Amino acid sequence: MSDLKILNLYKSFPGMDKPAVNNVSLDIKTGGLIAFLGPSGCGKTTILKMITGLFQPDSGDITLDNESLLPIATEKRGVVMVFQNYLLFPYMNVNENVGFALKMKGIAKDEIDKKVKDMLELVKLPDIGDRKPKQLSGGQQQRVALARALISKPKLLLLDEPLSNLDAHLRDEMRELIVTIQQKLNVTTVFVTHDQEEAVLLADNIALIFDGELQSFASPKEYYESPINERAAKFFGGVNFLKSSINNQQIDTEIGPLNYNQKNKKDLMNNHLLTIRPENIEISKTNIFKENSFSGIVTSIIFSGTNTRYKIKIGDTVLDCSVQSVGKKEISKNDEVFVHLPKDKLWGMND
Amino acid sequence: MENTLKKTNIYAVYLGALILILPLIAFFINAFSFRWFYPQLIPKELSLQAWVRLKLIPKEGFRSLDGFLDLWLSNPTIIKALVNSVTIGVIVTIVSIIIALPAARVLGLLNFRFKKLIIFIMVSPTILPPIAFVLGLNINFISWGFSGSFWGVCLVHLVPIMPYVVLTMTGIFANYNPDFEHQARTLGANKFRTFYLITLPAIAPGMVVAALFAFLVSWSQYLLTFLIGAGKIMTLPLLVFSTASSGNPALTAAISIVFIFPAIVILYFTSKFVSGDSSATSGFGKI
Amino acid sequence: MGGDRLKIVLSLTPPLLIIGTLFFGGILYGFLQSLGYQPAIQKYDINFDAYYNVMFSERYAKLFWSGLALNLWVSFVSTFLAAAFALFGALTIRKTFFAKKFCNFIFSLNLPMPHLVVAVGMIFVFSQSGLLARFFTQIGFIASPSEFPILVKDKYGFGIILAYIWKEAAFFFIILMSVLQSLGENFEELAQSLGANKWQRFRYVILPLVMPNLFSASIIVFAFSFGAYEVPAILGVNYPQMLPVMAFEFFLNPDLNARSEGMALSMIIAMIVMILVVIYFWLTQAKIRKD
Repeated sequence: MSDLKILNLYKSFPGMDKPAVNNVSLDIKTGGLIAFLGPSGCGKTTILKMITGLFQPDSGDITLDNESLLPIATEKRGVVMVFQNYLLFPYMNVNENVGFALKMKGIAKDEIDKKVKDMLELVKLPDIGDRKPKQLSGGQQQRVALARALISKPKLLLLDEPLSNLDAHLRDEMRELIVTIQQKLNVTTVFVTHDQEEAVLLADNIALIFDGELQSFASPKEYYESPINERAAKFFGGVNFLKSSINNQQIDTEIGPLNYNQKNKKDLMNNHLLTIRPENIEISKTNIFKENSFSGIVTSIIFSGTNTRYKIKIGDTVLDCSVQSVGKKEISKNDEVFVHLPKDKLWGMND
Repeated sequence: MENTLKKTNIYAVYLGALILILPLIAFFINAFSFRWFYPQLIPKELSLQAWVRLKLIPKEGFRSLDGFLDLWLSNPTIIKALVNSVTIGVIVTIVSIIIALPAARVLGLLNFRFKKLIIFIMVSPTILPPIAFVLGLNINFISWGFSGSFWGVCLVHLVPIMPYVVLTMTGIFANYNPDFEHQARTLGANKFRTFYLITLPAIAPGMVVAALFAFLVSWSQYLLTFLIGAGKIMTLPLLVFSTASSGNPALTAAISIVFIFPAIVILYFTSKFVSGDSSATSGFGKI
Repeated sequence: MGGDRLKIVLSLTPPLLIIGTLFFGGILYGFLQSLGYQPAIQKYDINFDAYYNVMFSERYAKLFWSGLALNLWVSFVSTFLAAAFALFGALTIRKTFFAKKFCNFIFSLNLPMPHLVVAVGMIFVFSQSGLLARFFTQIGFIASPSEFPILVKDKYGFGIILAYIWKEAAFFFIILMSVLQSLGENFEELAQSLGANKWQRFRYVILPLVMPNLFSASIIVFAFSFGAYEVPAILGVNYPQMLPVMAFEFFLNPDLNARSEGMALSMIIAMIVMILVVIYFWLTQAKIRKD
């Protein structure tokens, strides 16, 4: 069992006017694959380094299986980290790198050799044991780093920006590998990234961190459908924000009144900012919609592969709409179109 | 770029090179000659007499392994001087590296208040001439009992050596990535094993350069050893100096050859490591 | 972050302690002695007698000022000539020609040679019965040693200058080679394509390029040659005498007053070197501010 709990973690550095990590609390269950997501400098790597023991928090606690990690020396915590630039020890070959943790434990050489072999097969690199790190490609180095981290069956695996150094096609491979291995070994895994796509693809749950503070800890889906604030929504690519005020019947917005699903009334009440994802807006040249439809002018059309993005100007407001390119509509720039905001896809926030 | 190199330039360089090695040539001829008088360009007699007189090589008829050993064990001056120079050199090299290592790490990796001032202090012995401090220090050493002692000489040798060792090693640490150590720690290595398996191999080349420097600087010290040693500690440079004043060129040349031997060895090794404007070059320039 | 601070202080203490007590302590004590403070003979007063005596007294004034002049002359000339020689060598040797590697090696060979040995080498080559004199005799230029000029142990410090050029040229050479190799070629080609001839390229491209490194190297060499003892001790004469040799002899004099005077002289030497270094920094800072 390796439940990780972060309790009211606080850390500031001299010379910074805001704390790097400000009262962050998280609860991560055994076997989970969690992302710490946030822009550069938001404190996510600092949290990682406190978990491994490189930094000591100013206050707060970090527990693994309900036992505090803080008084334990780094090498005894059972927490391994894979750095962004892999840091394979340059003076050792692949076998020696991978077997390092077992050597530290004092395990017999034959057993180490066997386990190294198994590990290299697990990461699909069976024949490179004698090579030196500088003879490996980036993708290979990362697999070796992963093998090296997991060989001692750690309780917690931390990854720093695992996919950011890889080309697109390697990214898919690595993602598969990480998910497969993680599930196979059932090791609690936390990775840090600034790329929301990466977080969404890999993680079961995402902890969103801005300026050292935890914004929310939720599943990827929730970030798309029910973001907690405007900044979080923007981080995930949300772009349509309407100032709104809600009453019993309708929501008044700058483009006109909207009907909403009465079931969602509680969620939408008291919120002033309405948002809807571009993928959820429907458009048509003729008004085929029963409610929540508005007319506007197409100001730009951008083809981006599977989707096509339309910008529609309604009054002073511009809405972004993203539609699958396949069902091609005969819509061109400066056409007048009708947009539909389905009432179930509306979501309200306070900024 | 076109190789517009005037012939005269090339010949001038050849001449310059020739002039530069003339002293070395003179050393070697002198050392292996007997009575090489003016105006001979080539000595009439080649012999090992200088080396015999120095008591480095036994007389004719005794040149077996036993002969050599007997001669050296009788502790002639040159052996004394050689042993002293080597011992002092090794001791101060090791001590200076051990002392400099933590300081260099801190200076190379961290930033803190007064860092520039501290670096300036560390480097200051290279700016001012040794005569500025050694005279005053000698008086203190006399009252502290270090005058004429082996350890006193070792201590004073540390002064010109520390700046170079600290500077060279700081440079090494500036290019060093400490994350490797953290990586090893998370894989279960404690602090000592991390230092031994990860840090040491990474800084070893720089340490070797620093050590060679330190040794060479100590090896070449004259004024400091002469003053603090008060005539009781004999090292090679002192021997060279006194022999040079005696007027026997063959003897002087022979000792000089022994004296420059490590310099040549070190030149060979550091030509692999040293680049133009590192503190290494600056160090060599002062020797 | 208290632990970090402690670590920094503990790490820096040993070397700082050594340099502080031995180096600065030595200077301080020497300075005090030069002011007449000698507890060994119960003299506790502070005065500038030693300084005055060294510079202005009838006994020493001539010795001091001629020595100072000799010092400055030797340092300037040897630094300049060593730099010029090395620059010429570096400019030529960086291009390819027969035996280039060998010449490269020879020009840098003297770098780790101890100054003592270089000084002795000068005697072997340049003395009146030295290698050069014998060579000239063999080809009939001169007939006896006395016809060969006195180049070592002479009143003008030629031997000392030669020794310093020998050694420091290697220092300049290595620095120049690395600067020229890393930066020179591209700029030169550019200038050439813009119509600059050899001298113009030298003056407007190469010289400005190497000037900063050359300048700092020159300061190092000048400061060193100004205060060094070994070479003038072997190759110098009694009058005029270079200041470090003078200081040392004063110090060895059993008369304790002479000891103070020796300290005073060494302090004067140190101050002159300091002034130089300060000027250097001031000049480079001014240059940086200008840029």
